[in-house]
Amino acid sequence: MDPLLYVLDLVVFIGIFSIVAISLNLEFGFTGLANFGKVAFFLIGAYTYALLSNIGVPFFFCLMAGAVIAAAFGLLISLPALRLRADYLSIAVLAFGEILRLFVKSEDWLAGGDWGLTVAPAISVAGVSHRTDAFINIALVYFCLAICFLVIHYLANAPYGRAIRAIREDEVAAEALGKNVSKYKAQVLMLGSAMTGIAGGLYVQYLHCVLPNMFMPMITFTVWIMVLLGGPGNSWGVLLGAGLVEIFDRGTNILKDYISIPIDPSNLQYILFGTLIILILLYRPQGLLKESTVRTKVQRLIYNGRHTIKNRRN
Amino acid sequence: MMINWPQVLFNSAITGSLYLIGAVGLTLTYGLSKFPNFAHAEFITLGAFIGYLVAEQLGLGWPLALLIAFLVSGTVGVLCYRGIFQPLAKRGSSIIHLMVASIALGFILRHSIGAIWTWKPVYFSAAWTSFDVGSMRISSLWLWLIVTAISLSFAIHFLLMKTRIGKAIRASASNPELALASGINVNRVILITWFIGTGLAAIAGIFRGADTQIWPMTGWDIILPIFAVAILGGIGNFYGAIAAAFIIGLAENVGVVGLIALGLSTTYRIGIAFLILIITLIVKPEGLAMLFRRF
Repeated sequence: MDPLLYVLDLVVFIGIFSIVAISLNLEFGFTGLANFGKVAFFLIGAYTYALLSNIGVPFFFCLMAGAVIAAAFGLLISLPALRLRADYLSIAVLAFGEILRLFVKSEDWLAGGDWGLTVAPAISVAGVSHRTDAFINIALVYFCLAICFLVIHYLANAPYGRAIRAIREDEVAAEALGKNVSKYKAQVLMLGSAMTGIAGGLYVQYLHCVLPNMFMPMITFTVWIMVLLGGPGNSWGVLLGAGLVEIFDRGTNILKDYISIPIDPSNLQYILFGTLIILILLYRPQGLLKESTVRTKVQRLIYNGRHTIKNRRN
Repeated sequence: MMINWPQVLFNSAITGSLYLIGAVGLTLTYGLSKFPNFAHAEFITLGAFIGYLVAEQLGLGWPLALLIAFLVSGTVGVLCYRGIFQPLAKRGSSIIHLMVASIALGFILRHSIGAIWTWKPVYFSAAWTSFDVGSMRISSLWLWLIVTAISLSFAIHFLLMKTRIGKAIRASASNPELALASGINVNRVILITWFIGTGLAAIAGIFRGADTQIWPMTGWDIILPIFAVAILGGIGNFYGAIAAAFIIGLAENVGVVGLIALGLSTTYRIGIAFLILIITLIVKPEGLAMLFRRF
């Protein structure tokens, strides 16, 4: 296989999963919501994209429809989430993902069952090489990633970000300070799910197919590793985490062709991932990059003020 | 369409017995350690494979398979608790971190099992005799399952109500600080509960494996109804779990009849447990616990 194409493919994957990872970071890192069902929203985005694209809806609308439907489901699961404890929510959402996968698997008429659907590429220029195709996808994926990243970055540093952090730290205190906790949680879950839905659409249009087996619970777990490894509450850290996890994933896949080990490499990979996560939780729960302090106007003023005073003294 | 109701009821008893054995350990450890152990599924799988190793590969027979699977799975459970969850709890990790760690442990165990025994399903070769009673088809395996569930229920009832350790388990679950202050070694109590809980999961695994197939997803296949039982019964509530197991067993088997009548795929069977789980969480998150003596 063309080595450059392999790298480009990796870059696309990192981009797609970065979108899911930063959306989980919004939910878990900033708001403290344990969403163990990320794959469900990924699946919703993916299948919405595939079904609409196959009846000839233009690319952009397929992607947006996936985002809207995923957001609607995000709102739906936020209804119990508002009342539920963290453990109840995670059980409910994890189960939701499994049921959804069962649904697309057993309803042959809707989504091709086990065999899934094939999807036409969104932007196909006749006669372009695979490389050009990969570059087009990179541009597309990273454009979406940049928008999602900026939205989250803006929210996290706005008063909104301080409110959701307050909910994460102490829900009762946030409520007592007049923050509508339910509203914030619902908004965060909707926004996070919408972004995951977009990622699902991009994933399908890049791979040109959609199968129920692409949406195993492992997807959710991989994204959790990205967030926990990179640093919950730090968007740059999560991007780093997404890159490292995808490279590790590919690395072990390449290695298995060159070295022979007595244990099946795919099993080994999961075992290593599991061990990695437990080690992170035990020894570095804040992740590689710590959560950055919120930058506010007041802080800047104080900083500048100190600076001026210092300068005057000199 | 003629529906064989006695068979549906009998099947409900079988399903309920299996879920009960599987869920008791989950509900007890959940109630005591205050987090859901998602790796419980993998202890079910581990039990099935240890049973397979003892009964089929070593040829030591059925009773010994149950006993050794219980001991091995319980030991692994205790080691995992000591090695992973206890240090995390000591660090003051949040419940979310404990849950993520249990999912991670699940992946480690599942794929270690996959690496040892491969992902090709295997089967117990024991021949179970089947016979008809009226319109019901009954297999001796199913009778053994029901007998095991009933005797285990009595054993756990006796353990919880009559023995010192059982009283210590109940005390530690309802108020750890007070239990500690009254001289109960709460840490040891948790370890013993993890041993019993993960050991019982292994027994559920053997029966599930004998009834269907043994592969690394044996436990994951039934983890959803088992969580539904633990939550419907009220977390940490053994008596609630008994009622919940048979309610969900009945709902699933009647539901399957309904699914067939509606012309839907029977893979939605698992959706019935999910539905009960969600409704319980939304309407009454404490489950049936109020109906039973709290402990």
